[in-house]
Amino acid sequence: MTTQAAAIRGTVTTRVPAADLEKVTADLAKAPGTRLADMFASDGGITVLRLVWARESGYLVTETEIEGGQYPALSDIAPAAFVEECEIYEQFGIRPATGKPLNRLMLPPHAGPDFPRLGHAPAQPPQEVHAPHTVGGQAFEFPFGPVRQVGVESLYYGLVTSGEEVVDVYLFTWHKHRGVEWRLRGTTPRQAMFFAERAEGLSAVAVGWAFAAAAEAALGVAPPPAADRTRAVALELERLYNHAAAMAALCQATGLTVGQSAAEIALERLLRVNAAAFGHRYLFGVIEPGGTARAPDVAVLRRELPAAYGELRRAADALLRTNSFVDRLEACGILTAEHARRLGLVGPVARATGLTVDARRDGPYAAHPVTVVTADGGDVFARFQVMLGEAAESVRLIGEFLDAGTAAERTALPAKGNGEPGSGSGLGWAESSRGEVLAWVALDENGRITRARLRPGSVRNWRGFDDACRSQNVFTDIPIIEASFWLTAAGLAR
Amino acid sequence: MPLWFIRGLRRGVVTTRYPARPDDSAARLPTPPAFRPGQLTREVADRLVAVCPGPALSRRDDTLVFDVGACTGCGRCAEAAPDAVASSGEFELATTSRSVLIKEIPIRGDEP
Repeated sequence: MTTQAAAIRGTVTTRVPAADLEKVTADLAKAPGTRLADMFASDGGITVLRLVWARESGYLVTETEIEGGQYPALSDIAPAAFVEECEIYEQFGIRPATGKPLNRLMLPPHAGPDFPRLGHAPAQPPQEVHAPHTVGGQAFEFPFGPVRQVGVESLYYGLVTSGEEVVDVYLFTWHKHRGVEWRLRGTTPRQAMFFAERAEGLSAVAVGWAFAAAAEAALGVAPPPAADRTRAVALELERLYNHAAAMAALCQATGLTVGQSAAEIALERLLRVNAAAFGHRYLFGVIEPGGTARAPDVAVLRRELPAAYGELRRAADALLRTNSFVDRLEACGILTAEHARRLGLVGPVARATGLTVDARRDGPYAAHPVTVVTADGGDVFARFQVMLGEAAESVRLIGEFLDAGTAAERTALPAKGNGEPGSGSGLGWAESSRGEVLAWVALDENGRITRARLRPGSVRNWRGFDDACRSQNVFTDIPIIEASFWLTAAGLAR
Repeated sequence: MPLWFIRGLRRGVVTTRYPARPDDSAARLPTPPAFRPGQLTREVADRLVAVCPGPALSRRDDTLVFDVGACTGCGRCAEAAPDAVASSGEFELATTSRSVLIKEIPIRGDEP
């Protein structure tokens, strides 16, 4: 199923008094076509809570000053807010007023009061509330990780089972915390780009683009159109190699070794196309605030990309004709559209439930609209179908962007911020292979970052992973579901 | 499943000795810097240490200590001091000893 994306533009920021926050959140959560995309805090003497709402017409940012260290339990109204409530407690020490249990999310257990934080340390460390809530009766916890097989990120699974079926699953995600947002403070946007790209390395272009766009919005500049199209070419190449990698992981999870090799050959060819076109296999260093540092080698892309994509397509077609592969994907890790909407899920995970969530609607995509690929099943097979459809769409879009012209150009950034207190902030976004990436940046009068928020798609979608695992799946389904989500622990732990 | 077996056989051996041929895109890949000791002064060395976003560079008296293992090849040092630093073009960095990756570059730019 495909849907033409409608144009979406602009960001509106509004102040909401603390007394009205609960009602405003409830109204927005119920509003059709409105989704809670992010929630974060900043601390400049007074702690300010910001909620980012995605709407058809653009993004709405609400700002609320929090006094007394508590705010309404927003995740009771909009469940998508729970991960951020945990993160805000760890980093700023403020919590929902109901005293509801909060999980440890990013900071390791040894993080004491002096551990680098964005705000104040909480009075009490967060609880690990998962296990006592879920393990009981005949169920036991099967520990898996955090050290896993070669090349897979550190992540601890608590698989709760009574034997075969997975009753519950919870994750410890803090092993890869690097304090990226903390490290961005005091840097210029250009210095910060190095770290922003590395918050989630497999989404370096998407996170880099969102961060650059946020900094550009804060400084009131826009990149040249040709640079914008260059960003889009890099973004679609990033989507292609990630979807190829997800396909290889699906083959590995289903024990299809030859299929895995076929997908990895396609993946390697795509990475070599990246290196030949942009000088980096993982496309680091392409985007910079104000524009792009590199332009693609157009001749290489026109010559090499069709063959590399053909390799991917041949492997995919063979997999779709393999019943033992397709059988493992169907009815596995099911999520419904209502689930995805309530949890604010993004990317192929949301689109595989039928939702048309896609941030590629403005900038270079306004003139080259994306045909949004969706599916209805909500299972692993639906996610696989969405990825394949998106890979074909990426190749088409790259051709259009190359035809329209690309260049390594940059709009000069002002040496300093605009000097107006409270106005040097901006929101940026991009659609990674994992879904919508958001970034919010505030600059001081010297153009240095006072607060940068990076929200990769992984932050949203890990929230749906445990629900997908619980939907009548057995142990051996879990790696298949993980491959179909194709998230990173680094993107969540940052 | 037999189809996959046949498919694997038909494809044949796809691994080769390394490298099968020179990498065409090698010249465009980011590589660690090469330093020109004669162009390095303490001031330049301190500037390089400051722009390095990682822990790859440090200065010890009249020596610039370069940890190739911590370098991401971002190119910021070459941009900051193009007379003293250039991209090495070398990305075959594998070694059996970690200490081989730590290089000491004499600072000779202040010498008469």
